[in-house]
Amino acid sequence: MLDTLAKRLLQSIPVLIGVLVLGFLLVQLSPGDPARVFAGAMAPPEVVEQIREKMGLDRSLWTQFWGYVERVMHGDLGRSFISNKTVTSELLAAIVPTMELMIACLIWSIPLGIGMGTLAAVWRGSLVDRAVMAFSVAGVSLPIFFICLLLIQWFGVKWQLFPFIGRGGPLWTVEGLRHIALPALSLGLIFIGPVARMTRSSVLEVLRLDHVRTARSKGLNESQVILRHGLRNALIPVVTLVGLQAGYLLGGAVVTETVFSYPGIGRLSVGAILSADYPLAQGCILVLALAFIIINMIVDILYAILDPRVQKR
Amino acid sequence: MTASVPLTEALDDTAPPRQAWWKALLRDRAAALALITLLSIALAALLAPLIAPHDPYEGTRSVMQPPVWAERGDWTYLLGTDGQGRDILSRLLYGTRLTLLIGILSVGLGATVGSLLGLLSAFYKRIDPYVMRFADVMLSFPAILLGLALVAIFGPGALPVIIALSIATVPDSARIARSIAIGVMEQEYIEAGRAIGLSDRTLFSRYLLRNSISAIMIFVSLRFGQIILIGAALSFLGLGARPPAAELGMMASQGRDFMLFAPHIAFIPSIAIFVIVLAANITGDAIRDVLDPRLRS
Repeated sequence: MLDTLAKRLLQSIPVLIGVLVLGFLLVQLSPGDPARVFAGAMAPPEVVEQIREKMGLDRSLWTQFWGYVERVMHGDLGRSFISNKTVTSELLAAIVPTMELMIACLIWSIPLGIGMGTLAAVWRGSLVDRAVMAFSVAGVSLPIFFICLLLIQWFGVKWQLFPFIGRGGPLWTVEGLRHIALPALSLGLIFIGPVARMTRSSVLEVLRLDHVRTARSKGLNESQVILRHGLRNALIPVVTLVGLQAGYLLGGAVVTETVFSYPGIGRLSVGAILSADYPLAQGCILVLALAFIIINMIVDILYAILDPRVQKR
Repeated sequence: MTASVPLTEALDDTAPPRQAWWKALLRDRAAALALITLLSIALAALLAPLIAPHDPYEGTRSVMQPPVWAERGDWTYLLGTDGQGRDILSRLLYGTRLTLLIGILSVGLGATVGSLLGLLSAFYKRIDPYVMRFADVMLSFPAILLGLALVAIFGPGALPVIIALSIATVPDSARIARSIAIGVMEQEYIEAGRAIGLSDRTLFSRYLLRNSISAIMIFVSLRFGQIILIGAALSFLGLGARPPAAELGMMASQGRDFMLFAPHIAFIPSIAIFVIVLAANITGDAIRDVLDPRLRS
């Protein structure tokens, strides 16, 4: 157990360094002079020079990089060019809404996807199977913004069932739930497909195994065989899928948040990049990459817990 | 619940001979339809300058014209016009062109670099661990994150998006190429080649590369749909292709402002992306099923 954890931590070091270099490059390579941007277009050259010195922009790249890493480690990511708030505070304010969106999306799409995938596997080749597979291929082929726009058009504008702009409050309040409904529905719809597909092939695989035949031959009824002996083992690869698809989900979240003006990290990143707010953009990318690393690590550890065979390899 | 699973499963694994794979593919009606759709769309996009009825960039005064089948529709503009009075059909043709180009260039570039890495790592066992570790690290950057980072550095545009999507394709294709190449390396003709003293270079390019390339290309082409979707999403967000160029994701995003009065402006390009990606995914799945029944999902 600890072994797996240690190995994973070691493996993520190069990724972390890569992310830091990327974040640093973002500040360095960006066109335009940060000191000039910070000072404003009308500032006299002396002031710009002063700011340049204060920001450490006149020192060597190497020193600047170490300075950067040190600041990041202390949680100091600079200030947003646009709002002049600290990047850390902007990020902290956006993390909770994004996590809420993820929870609201996964909580219905994963069980539904697993259910659909299991049914498809059990009734292999039937109409149910074909419907589930068609749904999942369509799901992974739909541009997420199309789903968002359709849901807004029907549930938001035509039937006026749910609000479709912004966040209504924390997840446990009625307004919060009403506001998150459409974004969570959009994001979930693109996630059911991969989950159902993976569950289906995984259940098919497991149902062929000896222990399932034993369970059948000792006279268990079919639903017990499938739930106890089939699905339980089949879910292990599904867990890894959630990790593998974290990037896919992240991309979906960026678009969903932007379309619904939902104040999460995704919308914050897009806004920062479009307005050339480099400190904020760099902070967003750092946080997103870190989240991605952590998710994958958790999934690997879960995998090791669920399937003791993994550790022996 | 009735279950008729495991017995038929084993019988299913009768793979058609490899030479006839495209025949098997065309026998699958859904796949054949998808392939034909994909090819016609590609052809229409290629011929855009010849068949587009109007200028895709020039605005007119007839803004937000509905498509011909709607009320107030007009045969001059088959799919209607957008918020600036530009013909949607013409923009759709040009937009498809750019969307497909971004996808093809990204998959092509990424797959070339990735396959070469994978082949080399199967050929020279020494470098294998390094290449694979490198691929692992790169896999840790999802395509969307690379896209955001590169666009943040270079500013919005089609080029940073293509570079990001290519980089995102590299690790996957390296792994695929490696596993295929390892199979080829175990063949007798490689050993025979070594025995008669062929140079590494000949062995690599004439025997390993030529025997792996088609399989690699087919498996990598499965990524095409996903790459198109990410590219379109980035353009939708305003991070990809820039106006005045037409790109499907960007067209959908421009249509957002007119959702109340003219939803077709956003919906038509969105449907086009859906059809392209769906056709690509169905074709890809079918090819994989035909070539490798074990992977059948």
